[in-house]
Amino acid sequence: MELSEALYRCNKCGFCQASCPFYQLTREEWANARGRLRLVREALEGRLAPSDKYALRLYRCFMCGACSATCPSGVPAEEVLLKTREELARKGFIPSPLEELGSRVISTGNISGEDKSLRLSWAQNLDFPVRRNGKPDFVYFVGCVSSLYPQAYGLPQSMVYILEKRGVNYSVLGEEERCCGYPLLINGQVELALEVAKKNIAAVKETGAKVLITTCPSCYRMWKKFYPELLGEDNPVEVVHSSQWLAEAGLPLKPLEEKLTYHDPCDLGRGSGVYEEPRAFLKSIPGVSLVEMPLTRAEALCCGGGGNVESLEPSAGEGVAKMRLEQARLVGAKAVVTACPQCRRTLSRAARGTGLKVVDIVELAAKLLID
Amino acid sequence: MRESIIRQLKSIVGEENVLTDEIDLLLYSYDASFPESRPDVVVFPRSTEEVSRIMALASAEKIPVIPRGAGTGLSGGAVALKGGIVLSLTKMNRILKVDTENLVVEVEPGLVNAHLQTALAPYGLFYPPDPASMKVCTLGGNIAENAGGPRCLKYGVTKDYVLGLEVVLPDGAIIHTGGQVIKNTSGYDLTRLFVGSEGTLGIVTKAILRVLPLPEAKKTMLAIFDSLEAASRTVSATIAAGIIPTTLELMDNLLIRCAEDFTHVGLPTDAEALLLIEVDGAKEALEPQVQAIEKICRKEGAREVKLATSAAEVDRLWLARRTVIGAAARARPSLVIQDVTVPRSLLPEMVSRIVEISRKVGLLIGVLAHAGDGNLHPLLLFDSRIPGELEKVHEAEKEIFAAALELGGTLTGEHGIGLTKRDFFPLEFSPREIEVTRSIKKAFDPMNILNPGKILPE
Repeated sequence: MELSEALYRCNKCGFCQASCPFYQLTREEWANARGRLRLVREALEGRLAPSDKYALRLYRCFMCGACSATCPSGVPAEEVLLKTREELARKGFIPSPLEELGSRVISTGNISGEDKSLRLSWAQNLDFPVRRNGKPDFVYFVGCVSSLYPQAYGLPQSMVYILEKRGVNYSVLGEEERCCGYPLLINGQVELALEVAKKNIAAVKETGAKVLITTCPSCYRMWKKFYPELLGEDNPVEVVHSSQWLAEAGLPLKPLEEKLTYHDPCDLGRGSGVYEEPRAFLKSIPGVSLVEMPLTRAEALCCGGGGNVESLEPSAGEGVAKMRLEQARLVGAKAVVTACPQCRRTLSRAARGTGLKVVDIVELAAKLLID
Repeated sequence: MRESIIRQLKSIVGEENVLTDEIDLLLYSYDASFPESRPDVVVFPRSTEEVSRIMALASAEKIPVIPRGAGTGLSGGAVALKGGIVLSLTKMNRILKVDTENLVVEVEPGLVNAHLQTALAPYGLFYPPDPASMKVCTLGGNIAENAGGPRCLKYGVTKDYVLGLEVVLPDGAIIHTGGQVIKNTSGYDLTRLFVGSEGTLGIVTKAILRVLPLPEAKKTMLAIFDSLEAASRTVSATIAAGIIPTTLELMDNLLIRCAEDFTHVGLPTDAEALLLIEVDGAKEALEPQVQAIEKICRKEGAREVKLATSAAEVDRLWLARRTVIGAAARARPSLVIQDVTVPRSLLPEMVSRIVEISRKVGLLIGVLAHAGDGNLHPLLLFDSRIPGELEKVHEAEKEIFAAALELGGTLTGEHGIGLTKRDFFPLEFSPREIEVTRSIKKAFDPMNILNPGKILPE
């Protein structure tokens, strides 16, 4: 859809407020898509000159895509925002914390600016190697959050534990793995995203693997949707998210008598249409009762860890995460299962002292796996 | 606006709760209707006391104040026609009390309707008024507009559920009306006067609402018709047979197609009309009602009558209905939604007049109705970028109003007069009636600072 046509299609119904995390947090009009789209339209039609203020209203967004997915008029707000950010980036209006994030990714290959030799820190204490020679069937693309945030190490450790137990011939890329480029893409730095995409694709091709598995929904969406779009060619491997793999794997599992709810990660659910597989896996666990929160699937509320907001406004996510946990509490869940290291981090932090458990679906699977 | 006034506003609500940048003011120039006008400042109070101090200041300085909720109103009620202060109540959104013994809740005005429903569900309770925008609209806005919704056919509208209010008057005084008892004939019913007053008499800062136990069961049916006339005849026949379903919603072919395009629910896009009918209550009481309704539908010419078989299907059907106004943008990008109501027996007549007006004026009009209570929402669809289209809309509106009033109906069932129907007010009311209304406005707001230019023609 043409940008101007997309903008004109917004008939201001305001329904985008319902699942918008920034609107729910601030309850101010700029935060819902109706407001943001109006600003873009004013700029496009020459009544508003781009400025830092304008840019900030378009960058303070979790990029969760709830507005687009639930817009009755079919306005692709997320796409509009991506296109607008591209232009803002070109004109030098990226807020400085986000520009620094972009520079970090380019210079070090990861979001936190660590040396690439630390990319396998999470695997240091394992009693088996995860970077292997020879031709693997699977490449496990670990992603920055799981590789470099110690609180998230449990996820990749659980993933390789399961792969190991199931005798899967896999490898990770280690130092050859770079940030997938999603943070660059949503910064509007498309050229830079393309750069890392090419390097990652080359590294995967090198292994000769047929399948790439990710535990991070943003890496998954990047590989699955944006790499082919950016490069204009098909992926050299089949791309699978861990939750999809689990749903197919037929793992023998110990029972779990617990009431669980599933939190849809934005890039996995809305962004990639993967709603059923994680639920199917959870329902396959003997004894589990799965309940849905009031906002679920396409309407799911972001965890508060989306977009690059953590770099821009570190405190914003916690309020959103608390709202999300309140929904879990309302439906009587004892634990929130998600399928994303970032959702896991953000929700766990907010869950302290609430009695609610937050776990990634892969960690849960590893815990219940019968040897 | 003078800098000193901005400074005072900041001292009342805090710097972070005052917006003065052009870029922000622009976003408070509209609601979900067509007219737009920018305020001079937007403030977000967090307490009754702050509202009171803001009003005292506005009153002393004679500055217009426009109360606002989610900005989903459909009659321009939240548009700052004469500039001034937009008072956004969205940050006063707490549930203050859930009294399960008396089936009463106490809420702040910025609470979203659906958030109340979610909070009540674990207690087995619900709040009946259910505007299509319930996932986003605020209860303060619902009270200001006396909002309805599909299930108001059976349960009644907002005014039937407001027991008491805390209101800040234009001069900053805080008053309380009604209370938390069900029966109350103590003095004039000021509560009901404020309900539906569209933010022109006072600012609601707390509301005591009546809630009900959730019905034990419900059944949802879809009746499909090859003629719009047969569908509207079915509505009148159902009511005339003494059956009051919970909802009785009508949608024409154009809107069926828009709704299906968005939701992919499986609506019959070749049908001329459909009725979405729901009954609720005790489990064993539902089957006979379903059968009786189905019989009437078939007698009046329904092509098919389907019963929804799962909760997920019911949810999807309602998603299609609740989002159809937005989805109509798939047909044409600009929209004006009307809200006339006629006696229920005359629904078929009104529907056929709308079809005729659409043809005569040469304007695309989708027919949507809370048909069971005679409340029609003709959607006037156009493209405001094309010269002459807006004029056609105005022409069609005039004809629709005239037809509704001629049939003994009213200009608005649940969206309010606001700005968009203000100039038609004299069509429905005599000079003396307007004078009485004006004197009430004067009694509360002698300086005319509260939402000026709304309801009453200038």
